[in-house]
Amino acid sequence: MRRRRKRHNPSEVELNLAAMLDMAFQLLTFFILTFRPPPLEGQISLRLPPPQPISGSKTGQQLGDDQNNTNPLKNLDTLTISVFADPKTGEVVSLGVGGPSQSEAQPIGGLAALEGRLKELFADPGNPFEQVIIQVSESCRYDELMKIVDICTRQKLPNGKPLSKLSFVDLPSG
Amino acid sequence: MAGKLSQQIKAEPNLTPILDMVFQLITFFMLVINFKSAEIDFSLKLPVVGSARPVDSGGHIGLLVLNIDSKGNLRTSRSVTDIDNFLKIQAQATMLAARLTPDDLEHGIELPTTVVIRADRDTPFGKVNRVIKACQDNGFRSFALKARVNKDG
Repeated sequence: MRRRRKRHNPSEVELNLAAMLDMAFQLLTFFILTFRPPPLEGQISLRLPPPQPISGSKTGQQLGDDQNNTNPLKNLDTLTISVFADPKTGEVVSLGVGGPSQSEAQPIGGLAALEGRLKELFADPGNPFEQVIIQVSESCRYDELMKIVDICTRQKLPNGKPLSKLSFVDLPSG
Repeated sequence: MAGKLSQQIKAEPNLTPILDMVFQLITFFMLVINFKSAEIDFSLKLPVVGSARPVDSGGHIGLLVLNIDSKGNLRTSRSVTDIDNFLKIQAQATMLAARLTPDDLEHGIELPTTVVIRADRDTPFGKVNRVIKACQDNGFRSFALKARVNKDG
């Protein structure tokens, strides 16, 4: 039996979509497999200069923003926060504000008390502090430290800008 | 007769709607894909900080992401990397890139790149501080400490 072929209209073009669909599905598979929604993360932005000791202003120099001062960190008054942690658990056991050693630091009852003390210090218009050095026990857990950083970065300087100059140092022994 | 029968059962589905839908899905995934997430180590458990804000660099600031696990190791592409060598190479690359821009950098001046620290919440401070010190020694001054905004996030 002779097979009859269907005659197409010569002006009609039929695209083979199956190949395109195959390719599209492959692309779709790739994107589905590599897709990973980004985690909901935030950040605390800081300027962390290398820790420098505190020094008072020299004659004729203003604190912090003197144009003649080539090193803006010098002549800043620095507030020291001491964080003492349990060597085994890494949890904060006590806090101190003020002195470089445990005996000189003014003890603080907890995180809420630290926030209150910092608010009190930074609310003073004559407050000379523009940077904070946080000296921390080596064993202190990072999440415990971040709670203190969080409190510090919430403080406002007398010029209205948030405190962002922080430095971290290991707590000196003794 | 047989040819006639086969002609009758031949089905030609209209593939155009399914192709449209697939292309729309591809467009969606292309728009939401973020290749930068490849440098994020999802196994780290970040600390939770309420005041942490989402990243908004406007695409102008270079970011250097450092994943630090609970033992203080720097992890890149899921393998442990030597911190000092890695930072030295990154600092040199940043210096070279910065020299190509109109704002020329001299050696010793702080680098424009922001170091993004993603450290595990159980990492001891001493280990994190070692990484921060190494960054400072290589000229990095701008840092971003990553944290989760809430416990469920």
